[in-house]
Amino acid sequence: MSVKSYLKPQSVTDALIMAKTHANYLYFAGGTDIQVYLKQQLIKPDHIIDLSDIGELQNIASNDENISIGSMTTLDAISKNNSIYKDFPLIVEAAQSIGTPVIRKTATVGGNILVNNRCNFYNQSFGWRQAIGSCLRDVGDLCQVTKTSGKCFSRNVSDLAAALFCLDAKVIISNQNEGLELSIVDLYNQDGIDFHKHLDHDGILTKIILPIDAGSTWFKKLRIRNTLDFSSLTIAAKVYDNRNFRIGLNGVSMSPVLITGNLDMIDLEGIKSLARKSCKTVDNDMMPLKYRREMIDVYLDQWWVSIQK
Amino acid sequence: MSGPIGKRTPYIEAVQKVTGQAQFAEDFHFSNMLYVKFLRSPHTHAKIQNINLSKAKKLAGVCAISIGRDLPIPFGVLPISPDETAMAVNKVRYIGEIVAAVAAESEKIAHEACSLIEVDYEPIRDFLEPDDSLIDCSPDEQIHSHSKNGTNVHKVAELYFNDPKKAIQNSDISCTRTFKFAGVTHGFTEPHATVAQWNDDETLKVITATQVPHYLQKYLSKVLEIPLHKIRVIKPVVGGGFGGKSDPFPHEIITSYLSIKTHRPVKCVFTREEVFISNHGRHPTKMTLSVGADKQGKITGLDTDIVIDGGSYGSFGVVTSYYNGVLLQGPYRINEFGFTTTRTYTNKPQCGAMRGHGAVNPRYAMEVIIDELSHSLKMDPCDFREKNFLPANTLTVGQLRITSNGVLDCLKAVREKSAWDERYGNMPDGRGLGIACGFFISGSALPINWNRYPQTVVHTKLDFDGRVVIFSGASDIGQGSDTMLVQITAEELGITMDRVQVEVADTKLTPVDLGSYSSRVTFMVGNAAKSSSIKLRDELIKTISKEKNIKPESIQFENNRIFTEDKSLNMSWDEGVEICLAGRGSIVTMGYYISPQLGGKFKGSGAGLSPSYSFGAFISEVSVDKKTGAVKVEKVWGAHDCGKALNPLAVEGQIEGSIHMGLGQAISEELVYENGQFLNSNFIDYKIPSTLDTPDMDVTIIESDDKEGPYGAKEAGEGPIHPVLPAIGNAIFDAVRVRMYELPITPDKVLRAIKEKI
Ligand SMILES: Cc1cc2nc3c(=O)[nH]c(=O)nc-3n(C[C@H](O)[C@H](O)[C@H](O)COP(=O)(O)OP(=O)(O)OC[C@H]3O[C@@H](n4cnc5c(N)ncnc54)[C@H](O)[C@@H]3O)c2cc1C
Ligand code: SF4
Repeated sequence: MSVKSYLKPQSVTDALIMAKTHANYLYFAGGTDIQVYLKQQLIKPDHIIDLSDIGELQNIASNDENISIGSMTTLDAISKNNSIYKDFPLIVEAAQSIGTPVIRKTATVGGNILVNNRCNFYNQSFGWRQAIGSCLRDVGDLCQVTKTSGKCFSRNVSDLAAALFCLDAKVIISNQNEGLELSIVDLYNQDGIDFHKHLDHDGILTKIILPIDAGSTWFKKLRIRNTLDFSSLTIAAKVYDNRNFRIGLNGVSMSPVLITGNLDMIDLEGIKSLARKSCKTVDNDMMPLKYRREMIDVYLDQWWVSIQK
Repeated sequence: MSGPIGKRTPYIEAVQKVTGQAQFAEDFHFSNMLYVKFLRSPHTHAKIQNINLSKAKKLAGVCAISIGRDLPIPFGVLPISPDETAMAVNKVRYIGEIVAAVAAESEKIAHEACSLIEVDYEPIRDFLEPDDSLIDCSPDEQIHSHSKNGTNVHKVAELYFNDPKKAIQNSDISCTRTFKFAGVTHGFTEPHATVAQWNDDETLKVITATQVPHYLQKYLSKVLEIPLHKIRVIKPVVGGGFGGKSDPFPHEIITSYLSIKTHRPVKCVFTREEVFISNHGRHPTKMTLSVGADKQGKITGLDTDIVIDGGSYGSFGVVTSYYNGVLLQGPYRINEFGFTTTRTYTNKPQCGAMRGHGAVNPRYAMEVIIDELSHSLKMDPCDFREKNFLPANTLTVGQLRITSNGVLDCLKAVREKSAWDERYGNMPDGRGLGIACGFFISGSALPINWNRYPQTVVHTKLDFDGRVVIFSGASDIGQGSDTMLVQITAEELGITMDRVQVEVADTKLTPVDLGSYSSRVTFMVGNAAKSSSIKLRDELIKTISKEKNIKPESIQFENNRIFTEDKSLNMSWDEGVEICLAGRGSIVTMGYYISPQLGGKFKGSGAGLSPSYSFGAFISEVSVDKKTGAVKVEKVWGAHDCGKALNPLAVEGQIEGSIHMGLGQAISEELVYENGQFLNSNFIDYKIPSTLDTPDMDVTIIESDDKEGPYGAKEAGEGPIHPVLPAIGNAIFDAVRVRMYELPITPDKVLRAIKEKI
């Protein structure tokens, strides 16, 4: 890795100016995701713009209607915040399922929402990738999973995203054109290479806004170990007024998947069928494909049982 | 015992380690040092047609580049299979094999230079599965030309005593099953690291993370063609080995070579991925095991056919092949016994020795089958085992000499502590208990390099300052052997441990020890240290009794004092030392250990011979989620017969570590190959259990007092791993009535088995 400069802006405005004047830059939040990418030569930025000194990105503020979380808040900090703990236990559960206690001290909410998609055949060293002839997402012509040249199916693994989908979160992005507010769902593309949208014009994710409303939530993450592992399937679900539901699934497709509806209009089998159709799951995780698909059904069964109580 | 023996004793280097002061190989820095990086093969099997170094040589900061033909002399830890060279010569045999090495002013430059080396390869047919390696191929396609009969078989090890096939056929009941075991690796914390320094006097100093400094010295001498007496190998503090640092390694030889070539110190530190590529872990294994029994539950015969996937080179593979079979001779009496193990070469990183060497996978198979036989006979699996235990002081059918044997006490302990009799078979659906026993060598009685010297020699030096220094080649790799040496010496001399220091594992300063493998150190080096310190004590007694005119047999040593019962003599240690050294100065005594003559007179009789064997019994409790197949190991009760716990704290640590490591192989760890390279050569995807996955542990130490072990001690570092895996497998059966014949027992496999049963 030969980075030419390591920049530490003090404000979002500064950061945007630096981004404009430094081609091939990389925003660096906690760095727990991208440092591995740098080491494996999956990304080769000339400049790193470290967002950690920007105080305005680290606030958690709440009023009667919503809570806003600065994108640079660490996962550890949101797990320990009383308001979040009270109103959004789902967020705490999702955050605590990520990495390890040490990683969560550095990893940020924004970094997790924008964590890079993963694939067994891509998240490898340069030498490893060279030996298999690389892949579409890197410098090759073929997807090593499907052996076709059409599409990349790398998986989005953000556990928070699944939770934020079902909580109907909004995100605020600042960019060279002043910025925009959008539903978190609109941040993602069903594309294994170009997996985020609306971050053009040097976009910085600044805030996440969570509407406070009642409802019962449920969360489960599939992994071999009880810590450290990336998700092989994450499901977060919420049932709220008049039996409406929102289910966020992740780890099983190129972007998080949202399923919404009303429990009076659709039964469990219908929800499962929707989930199966919406997830483009391929064999690019350490857990076998068939098993991960089966677990979508099993987890939804478990959620269903939980809401009958 | 009045000294530290038998007392819970923290390791003497513990504070250094936890405060970051301990020096590992990577911590050594010398001025003017170069750094080495390797160019590795991207092919599983290919001829090297041409290597073009011209661009790499031109890069500023590159000081030397070497390739295979610079170091063509073959080596291998076993002198019977020297099939490896430091770098690939003419052809590569696995992805990741070293093709060229660059020494440069910085790691970055070395790395960049590697990317500038151009190699032309001509791919050859590769052999990735053992089944492919068993069939004939053309000589051109053979991984090694010395494989017999035009195949890629490395070794066939077989031993048959009596007629096990017939005995099993004629048995009241029998059980035959085929098992599959994924490859696993050691997962030690410290990556391989080596610093080599070629000195002006044409001597070579190599500081390296190794378990076998003296073997490395031997192979450095062979490959570099430097006399042994000019090579000094130093083992600094080592961050774990588990067998993965017990071969002489290519990087150690290459780093040394580059230091000689450049006349500068050279350092090599592996990345974690390189550690995985280097592997030498447990062989992926497929085995079919048949065991027969009579109606009373007596085992009538055992016959097994095993294929182990050795990867591209030999390593310890010949020993592994034998251990897969011979170590099934305990802890049960089996008079009709036979095995065939076939080790194949494949175009993958090589496998070798790993904790519990060779015997872990067969132990799983055996203990699962015993469970099945007990069920068929409607007999409690503990009772079945009890009926078949070997007694103490006996010979097995293959003439392994059993001395002390505490297996029955182990079984009784875990049976009682786990409330087995009340709970087994009576637990709620999805929860279960499983039992398994184990058996392992306490050091190999025969050295792998045959020689006429003792297994180990220890020197004990006493000087005017009252300090005792132990010189031993023993390699402490975290198992606590330095502490053991100090404890023994302090015990024998009646002094506190702070007066005893160690100089260890430095081939210039310390006498030969063969290394930390096969659980030999406590037994063999412990005996040598004890004998050496007894000689030193005798020397003190002789001089003091003469000067003070006191009967030698009345002199005692305790608490830094030398005295007689009636206190007619009552002096401090320092006063005694002054008398002892008067007129001659510092003295050095010497102790050694030679294994007894053991074994039969048949081919292969040497395999598995040990002066003593450890035994164990473990019970595990699991819960299984029938919807997801996820297994949670809730608790493990482990009882291990280590003869005598010289340091109960260390023995407990070894048993707990074994439970953790066994748990990993049982339920989550697996080296996943993708076209010959590992898909998971990192600690996120290679699933070593975390603290949150680790069960409650209840450890019992059984002391059977071995008559030849130091103070009765035998091994505790490897034996405890064997029963862990099958105890988990058997508990899963108790919980959900499915038998798991394939490791690791991941949730998908459990779920599949549950569904197949329904
Ligand atoms: C051992 C280990 C285990 C892990 N386990 C998990 C897990 O279980 N689940 C999981 O989801 N992740 C996991 N991760 C990945 C990662 O640690 C987390 O996703 C973490 O939350 C990322 O946050 P970060 O602040 O470190 O992001 P960074 O690494 O700094 O950034 C991640 C990406 O987001 C971009 N980015 C960050 N902040 C902004 C912003 N404000 N505006 C615009 N772009 C931005 C960066 O440019 C980069 O592309 C793991 C990582 C490791 C090393
Ligand atoms: S899904 Fe295919 S293209 Fe995408 S990263 Fe994996 S191998 Fe590459």
